[in-house]
Amino acid sequence: MNIEKYIEEFKEKFPDIIKAEVVNKKRLMVYIPKSLLKDITDYWFTGLQYRYIIVSAMDSKDGFELIYHFSDDRTGWVMSLNLMLSHDNPEIESMTSIVYGIEWIEREIMDILGVKFIDHPKPNRFLFAEDWPENEYPYRRKIRQEDR
Amino acid sequence: MGKKTIVPIGPYHPLLEEPEFFKLYCDGETVVDMEWETGYNHRGIEKICESKTFEQVFYVVERICGICSTSHPFAYANAVESIPGVDIPVRAKLVRSIVGELERVHSHLLWVGLAGHFLGYNTVFMWAWKYREPVLDMFEIITGNRNNYAMFTIGGVRRDVDADKAAKLLQVLDDVKKKTNMLIGAVMDDPVFHARLKGVGVLTPKDIHDFGAVGPTARASGVDIDIRRDDPYAAYEMLNWKVITAKEGDIFAKAEVRLLELLESISMIQQCLELLKKEKEGDIKVKVKDIPPGIGIGHAEAPRGEVFHFVKSDGSNSPVRHKIRAPSYTNIPTFRKSCIGGTISDAAIATAAVDPCYCCTERMTQVYDYNTRKRILNAAELIKLSQKKTQDIRDKLNLSSSTDQTWKV
Amino acid sequence: MGFKDFCFKKSLWVFHLSAGSCNNCDIEILDLLTPRYDIERFGMKLIGSVRHADVLLVTGIVTNKTKPRVLEIYEQAPKPIVVIAIGACPCTGGIFASSYNFAGPLDKVIPVNAYIPGCPPKPEAMLSGVVTLLKAMGKK
Repeated sequence: MNIEKYIEEFKEKFPDIIKAEVVNKKRLMVYIPKSLLKDITDYWFTGLQYRYIIVSAMDSKDGFELIYHFSDDRTGWVMSLNLMLSHDNPEIESMTSIVYGIEWIEREIMDILGVKFIDHPKPNRFLFAEDWPENEYPYRRKIRQEDR
Repeated sequence: MGKKTIVPIGPYHPLLEEPEFFKLYCDGETVVDMEWETGYNHRGIEKICESKTFEQVFYVVERICGICSTSHPFAYANAVESIPGVDIPVRAKLVRSIVGELERVHSHLLWVGLAGHFLGYNTVFMWAWKYREPVLDMFEIITGNRNNYAMFTIGGVRRDVDADKAAKLLQVLDDVKKKTNMLIGAVMDDPVFHARLKGVGVLTPKDIHDFGAVGPTARASGVDIDIRRDDPYAAYEMLNWKVITAKEGDIFAKAEVRLLELLESISMIQQCLELLKKEKEGDIKVKVKDIPPGIGIGHAEAPRGEVFHFVKSDGSNSPVRHKIRAPSYTNIPTFRKSCIGGTISDAAIATAAVDPCYCCTERMTQVYDYNTRKRILNAAELIKLSQKKTQDIRDKLNLSSSTDQTWKV
Repeated sequence: MGFKDFCFKKSLWVFHLSAGSCNNCDIEILDLLTPRYDIERFGMKLIGSVRHADVLLVTGIVTNKTKPRVLEIYEQAPKPIVVIAIGACPCTGGIFASSYNFAGPLDKVIPVNAYIPGCPPKPEAMLSGVVTLLKAMGKK
């Protein structure tokens, strides 16, 4: 697979992407604005038939970072979409309408980071016990939480 | 619609964040809907990993799941070693593959046994677990422990497989291979297994893609994916083997894929041991000074499917973020497709078919639904139902009974 | 020897509860049933309901979500019941002791009669632990 050519064509198709880089051997990371998520997910998952792997979420300095991982099993490349949500208003559209299996991980991210997924079919608590405090998210960095 | 009955399956399940409690909503014998609840087993491993050093994380991730205690370190090693771009010695690659494949042998044997138990074939359960014991003994000889092997480290492995151990391992493998062949014959030619498992819990390739299911679950539906071949790591490029697939997507196909994979794994270990003779003994590790800032994405093929690890490093000595995805995380939601529309007695084996570390079934407890006061079956009754159905089929086929109905969990 | 002690002499029925374990201890417990160890020759067997149990085996750390369930199962068990903590996790929390979802070692939740440490303990260790406990109870 010629990755330079792939990136070029990809950028032509979606001119709004911020950056696309090869992070390691056979690993591509595409940095995108929030608005592009649905289109690219649809293109990769439905169009190119990439396999959905998982969503990694983390709290970084500039905001909540969500990384959607897909895998192209014909070539062995892992393709990731990286997008940033602001700390003040962490909201993103749910991808359950395209990827059925994404339901669990979105609920999990709601629990651990407090990111809101709009139009999620079942936004209930996923991991924690019934008596877990309402606004406590263990994966948020502590220092900033105290700042607020 | 008649009276709805709730059948709980759960609540405990031992993988990372995926212990669950299934509620089957049943109308008569048919499952009409299901619901799940998780988090019983959530141990916050990803958070714990962030407080450990890169070396220590190995021993945390191998405790995610007792049966996959090589697969998680494998994927983690692939992820972490890709950040500085370490190339490990060939001998270390071979040892890694040996341990990984031995684990697949013991895990698949375990599954065959449990599947047999759910169907009322306790002989299969006892046999498969008896043949699994020599494999665990080999683990003890090679790694020092029956489970949780602590073999991996950054840049290689911690213990070598020397000539003595290799010879012993070859002997055991010959024996296991004979027994496996016998087991395959017993299962594949059994008319009851055919009648009971064919056409039950079918998953189409589209279902597999929708849910992102992996491993034998996907391969049994004709989806030809295997990380060992698609994105080779360790020694898998050097070996001669093939990916086993089946077309039907039912439970019988899943059993078939797993049983035939056993033989492939055994042959892979034999090839590794042969290649090991050419490498210098003791050359099992390269020194890795530190992990530079960067992102590492690694995956590995566990007995149940792809294990995925994402590691972010900021140049310090512990990961900033460590995301783990175990195969059952995407395999388990497929129950929605495989169970709904089937009968309750098929639900037990349909859930067992994706191998969600099902030894946890032994821990199903009776749960009372205080709000609705609906009638609830417990685990033992559910398994009994499944076993009874097998018995009925057997009676129909005029076979003599060998089921020990009094043996229950 | 009282009647209750006499009941603990033979054919113990065991209920196995995993509070939040990694599967290893659970598999090793099942291993005890299979031909190599075969505890059924002592009349011991794993049963499906805690209401019939003489012995409660607990594996894994007690998480916040399982804590009420563990308490409820202990309530349901007929007394006297022998509680055995199997593996490092219920004994101390082991590697997971620093987790935010850890509700404390098992003996902070329910009374424990014996601890079998190890990660996981070998089946032989489990057998030896049970035998040691029964002997100690006999001496009382």
